[in-house]
Amino acid sequence: MKLCDFVIPADIDEARARLRELGDAAFPTAGGVSLHFLRFAEPKTAVDLTRLGLSGISRDNGRFTIGATTPVCDLQKHVAEGWVLDRVARRFVTQQIRNISTLGGNICRVFWWSDFPVALLALDASVAVRGESETVLSAEEFLARPLKLLKPGTLVVAIDIPAVESGAGFGYGKETRVGSSFSLATAAACVVVEGNRIKQARVAAGASLSMPQLLPAVGEKLAGETADREAIEKAVATGTEGLAWKGREGMSDPYAAELSRIIIADAITDAVAEART
Amino acid sequence: MSTVKQISLTLNGEPKTFETTADETLVDLLRRHGYRGTKTGCYEGACGACTVILDGRAVYGCLLRAFQAHGRDVQTIEGAGSFDDPHPVQRALVDEGAVQCGFCTPGMVLSAKALLDETPHPGSDTIKEHMDGNLCRCTGYEKIRVAVEKVAASTAMP
Repeated sequence: MKLCDFVIPADIDEARARLRELGDAAFPTAGGVSLHFLRFAEPKTAVDLTRLGLSGISRDNGRFTIGATTPVCDLQKHVAEGWVLDRVARRFVTQQIRNISTLGGNICRVFWWSDFPVALLALDASVAVRGESETVLSAEEFLARPLKLLKPGTLVVAIDIPAVESGAGFGYGKETRVGSSFSLATAAACVVVEGNRIKQARVAAGASLSMPQLLPAVGEKLAGETADREAIEKAVATGTEGLAWKGREGMSDPYAAELSRIIIADAITDAVAEART
Repeated sequence: MSTVKQISLTLNGEPKTFETTADETLVDLLRRHGYRGTKTGCYEGACGACTVILDGRAVYGCLLRAFQAHGRDVQTIEGAGSFDDPHPVQRALVDEGAVQCGFCTPGMVLSAKALLDETPHPGSDTIKEHMDGNLCRCTGYEKIRVAVEKVAASTAMP
């Protein structure tokens, strides 16, 4: 038994009160998919966060705000200029899981195979956390220790990402054993191109690393470089030196490293191509 | 000890109340109450045999806890059609010879139905995308794809 009880709060205040009361015995949940991968020493009480009005996508001032309990299928189906998360959503597990898994859930319980944290790191997303007041953290700050930041009585309410506009491009790639499997390599890149040169780049990767992470050295190596495949591969090779690659599902560590470098370079190449259109 | 609580939901168009615990999956609750057309296969969200429709969307009944369906609309294969009046997807699967052992078929039907209810005439890529969570070890998928595409192209859907 993992869960011993459940509560279904009707609004944010009630949810926060329940989470405070229950403390470590609470299991805040929306889609509930991560429950399948977790083991608890003691049974917990599920706090269902799906009725709090935290689902939906809106756009304001060149940024998208995504409610924490927005299911992945809504990211998959959303159509708007500068919207890029459909590319990540479309390759996320299977339709039945896309229909129930939420963006908030994907950043609060992060696993080595997690795809959305990689995309959000590349996009320089921010995460709104509601406690006594609302705090906005960068995705990098939040993803470094999500469960430690979420003290009893606090919850993620929204994720904010920029619209990828003219002159900028987003690329995403992943490799899996079969389409619905966990990622063996997952990478995302967001670039700004001026003329034939990369002005700036944010690159992130996961699955073959211990956890999803931003690769600042790759971004630094790319800045000012010619926007061609040779320069991209060189920046990826030198910018990922020293990373502790981890092979999964029968892959050796060096194979995982090589596979990841290709996936990362592909994501950057796609981002550059989009920025030029 | 798990606390037993009541949940209410609409099941195949009828309001229902069930007792459940936090750890009970939706598929187990449904089968416990006689809705055995929903199959249990992998129990880990991979095979799609337990697919039901929750608020218009196909979901895995084995990953969802029953309490998550409280206040929501659930459709099972028992509500999709009957022997005398099959759903267009059921009819097409039979016509195309897309059923062998039949174990995956309820899940296949409900995944296709959820898609076609939302998008009556989807393209081939959309069909593949929305059927990617259902495994079939008999047919090789081609006949299933053809059957769903025929319904999507027909006037059987509104």
